[in-house]
Amino acid sequence: MSTLGLQKSKPGAERMFSASRVILLVLLIIAIVLPPFLSPYYLYLLTTIMMTALLAASLNFVLGYGGLLQLHHAVFFGVGAYTVALVLTKTSWPFWTAVIAAPIVAGFFALLIGWFCVRLRGLYFGMLTLALGQLVWAVVYKWRSLTGGDDGIHAIPVPDYLASPTSVYYVNLAVLVISLIILYVIVKSPFGLTLVATRDNPVRSQSVGVNIRRHQLAAFVLAGFFAGVSGVLFVLIEQSVSPSLLYWSKSAEILIMCLLGGMAVFMGPTLGAAVLVILSMVVGTYIDYWLLVLGLVLLLLVLFLPQGVLGFLQEKLSGRKTGEGGERDAAS
Amino acid sequence: MNSAALASQLLIGLSRGMLYFVVAAGLTLVFGVLRVINFAHGSLYMLGAFFSFTFATVLAQGQAGFWLALLLAPLAVALISLLIERGLLRFIYQREHLMQMLLTYSLVLIFGDLVKLIWGSQYQSLSLPGILSGSFTLGGVAIPWYNLFLLVMGPLVALGLWLFLDRTRLGKICRATATDREMVDILGVNSTWVFAAVFALGGWLAGLGGALMAPVVNISLGMDANIIIYAFLIVVVGGLGNIWGALISSLIIGVGEAMGALFMPDWAIVLPYVITGILLILRPSGLLKSVW
Amino acid sequence: MKRRKVLRYLALAGVLSLLASSLLSGCGQQPAAQKPTGKTITVGIIDSYTGPPSAYTQDALDGFQLAINEVAKQGGPTIKFIKRDDEFKVDKAQSWAKELVMQQKVDVLAGTINSGGTLAVSQYAKENKIPFFDWGGMSDKITGANGHRYVFSMLPNTAMIGKAGAVQMSKLPYTKYWLAGSDYEYGHSVVANLWSNLQKLKPDVQKVGETWWKVGEPDFTPYIASIRAAKPDAVIVGTGGADMVPFMKALQNTGLAKDIPVWIHTATDAGTLKPLGDNAPVGVLGTNAYFYYYPDTPANKAFDQAFSAAYNRHPTAFALFGYMTGKFLAAAVDKAGTDKEKIIDAMEGMTVDSPIGPMTMRKEDHLIQMPMFYGKTGKDASGKVVATDINTLPADQVMPNVDDVLKLRSK
Repeated sequence: MSTLGLQKSKPGAERMFSASRVILLVLLIIAIVLPPFLSPYYLYLLTTIMMTALLAASLNFVLGYGGLLQLHHAVFFGVGAYTVALVLTKTSWPFWTAVIAAPIVAGFFALLIGWFCVRLRGLYFGMLTLALGQLVWAVVYKWRSLTGGDDGIHAIPVPDYLASPTSVYYVNLAVLVISLIILYVIVKSPFGLTLVATRDNPVRSQSVGVNIRRHQLAAFVLAGFFAGVSGVLFVLIEQSVSPSLLYWSKSAEILIMCLLGGMAVFMGPTLGAAVLVILSMVVGTYIDYWLLVLGLVLLLLVLFLPQGVLGFLQEKLSGRKTGEGGERDAAS
Repeated sequence: MNSAALASQLLIGLSRGMLYFVVAAGLTLVFGVLRVINFAHGSLYMLGAFFSFTFATVLAQGQAGFWLALLLAPLAVALISLLIERGLLRFIYQREHLMQMLLTYSLVLIFGDLVKLIWGSQYQSLSLPGILSGSFTLGGVAIPWYNLFLLVMGPLVALGLWLFLDRTRLGKICRATATDREMVDILGVNSTWVFAAVFALGGWLAGLGGALMAPVVNISLGMDANIIIYAFLIVVVGGLGNIWGALISSLIIGVGEAMGALFMPDWAIVLPYVITGILLILRPSGLLKSVW
Repeated sequence: MKRRKVLRYLALAGVLSLLASSLLSGCGQQPAAQKPTGKTITVGIIDSYTGPPSAYTQDALDGFQLAINEVAKQGGPTIKFIKRDDEFKVDKAQSWAKELVMQQKVDVLAGTINSGGTLAVSQYAKENKIPFFDWGGMSDKITGANGHRYVFSMLPNTAMIGKAGAVQMSKLPYTKYWLAGSDYEYGHSVVANLWSNLQKLKPDVQKVGETWWKVGEPDFTPYIASIRAAKPDAVIVGTGGADMVPFMKALQNTGLAKDIPVWIHTATDAGTLKPLGDNAPVGVLGTNAYFYYYPDTPANKAFDQAFSAAYNRHPTAFALFGYMTGKFLAAAVDKAGTDKEKIIDAMEGMTVDSPIGPMTMRKEDHLIQMPMFYGKTGKDASGKVVATDINTLPADQVMPNVDDVLKLRSK
């Protein structure tokens, strides 16, 4: 199954991917020159999309490539955001320490949770991520003296050079691009390829001497790390944190983004994040029942378009017969 | 702390556990047979409560309303579950777990807004029938009659499920399917209607849980999110798909919370997660085996 | 599998067209930038219209709507509003605040029942100099430690509630107290404020213990049983929102309120008692901001009649908060025009008649000065459970000390 575009299957596909690289490059250039022409609101919306895209891409790394049923990814996003918030409001450490600490702390939480979870497989793995993630949420919610409880932490002091919407935009863009490149390189690396192998054929991987658990744990921690980076970006944009960032419904949102864009395509979750953020902000301005619309979109996707929008397009454009993309049994 | 108070707290905890069991049993039954984690189980529970409100207020006034609603609301929810299974779920049994889960999650979103459309955002409330209101005293602790009622209903449901699974042909097929689905297929059993029946039964249990809770809670939007995580925890701790495991873990969590209220009364919010975490670390794949 | 293929294209087309149409309509929409020369003001409302709090947010919105209709009828300024649902999520509230201000160009913001959301929107309002009327968040931080020029609290905050509750309890002979509530900001804040004020009024009170349950708790019996086992003289409970009704039911079923006096803010509120019907416990103590039947004045009757006629139910406290937000805003715009800074200057110290007597926006900290009521649940002549033994505490007796508030802010 060559759903990921990792194998160089056909010359046609090869051309296709260089074409998609050109498209991405054009998009990047547009993104760089765009800000002066945008209204402040669209600038904010784009910035939010980029922050969310990184979060979705980090989930897809474990979910799409690692085949791990990570059901509570938002926890690491929230832990990253809270780390920045706490360092900046409770200590007098400089700003950069918070920025560096946040992804590391998020990665550490991923290591802790992942260490328990990788012993389990399939749905058990998923349910344990959910249970432990909710435990982290409950602690954040409960520990009012430190985290501010459900009120959260507001007016987090961000340096002046990062205060303008344009600079936050460029920081988000740069971080997103760099992180995506790193993730892409990892996916293409021997480690990434082995990870995909443990997903597609765990028995065979094990028999050729791959330590499946260690690979999965490493992927889990990496994903947590990048979710933490996304958490830093969130604080830069909103200057506040609240427990809803690590509630399970937030994780469900990220899952939907991955599905929407296509889990088998590297840029799928990025597109999914963009679509979902825009939908939620636009549909909500017209009708009171945005969640109903989201539910219907999700229903249609699951029933008829399980490979996601980008996955579907790629399938059609490259003319490949990939079968039911994204329909491998990630859990069994 | 005298022993009578401790005993009555135990009783309260058991009744709480029984309520969890009624809801979790449906979830775990559906998983065991269909291999689908049903996020919408909480929504069905919420629907059970709202239906029970409507039936109790529209069909009959006063005492009879509650009993009529307790009978009809779960059936209505079972009917809706049947429609979900026939109309949606049966097309995706071959898909991976994640897709099935996301399908049921889409139903959570849809039902949440549908309930708002139909019943509005105002709180609804149902009165307890006179015979079940009030309380009796045990060792100086007042225990509501309703908790005792739950303490009776829970085992009745468990007994009914046991009779169904152990004594009926359909139940035996269910157990066989949970154990080895391929073998059941090979033997030529038409499993599609088994799936439909089990999903409807799961919905009936969720609806029953909702109807049982309707008179003591606030019938409101958001009931679904409150219960579903609990039900998940219980089902995982008990062993996915194992009804008796769900019974044991329901009781552990129910009694654990009741004891927590006594000994560490300001940590209620983290207690269920801590209990779950410890149990899962001790027994990573649940208390009982996934099949039974 | 031809059919399946067709369905797939259809689904893709469906998803894409949904996206495209919503985007296109979003672009085509002209922001309300052009303002007519008359006094017209646009309010951006952010509140939780999904989930358990929607009963309260709908009341506030309906009250606000009623007020702006009345104002328009009387020839006052035209108040338009755009509402957004934050789904009880703080980050969503922030996003909507930005959308409303940047895209819809609203003049002022209002909302939100989630006090975390209120604080976040308030911060944004401060940075962008947009007046923000809080008609839902009750945390004392909003106009206390985190207060600023651009935020106004249109409802009694937890400091006022706690102070009023302390006055009520100090008149009763109890000394051994158990503190309990829902484990979130509102619950803790109400109880902490009440307790610190009560200790000042009555130094011999002592705390026996504390119980905190989670928001959305389905069964209060174990907590009530454990509180009863500790045998306190009285129980102070900080719970609210969707938990009020089930907690009152649990009080009734366990009979706790018969043995041990229980205090809860809004225990006597119509919004709590109406859903309970004949299941409501008698003798529960509590403070409240509004009753549609008390005080029995023509102004209050008129408000009740107008609200009931429009929405087919009696107004609750939140309906009053929304209503008074509309009235205050209209008065400020009437006086100062649509300039944001001038609206704020006009609001400061302004007094507006309300159904329960004049209310004043305190100049120093922007916390509304309104009276509080305390009483207990009991049966009226027809056997219905209502608030009885109602006493009124004038605003100056429940307001937090201005110097204390300003000291908190300077920190």
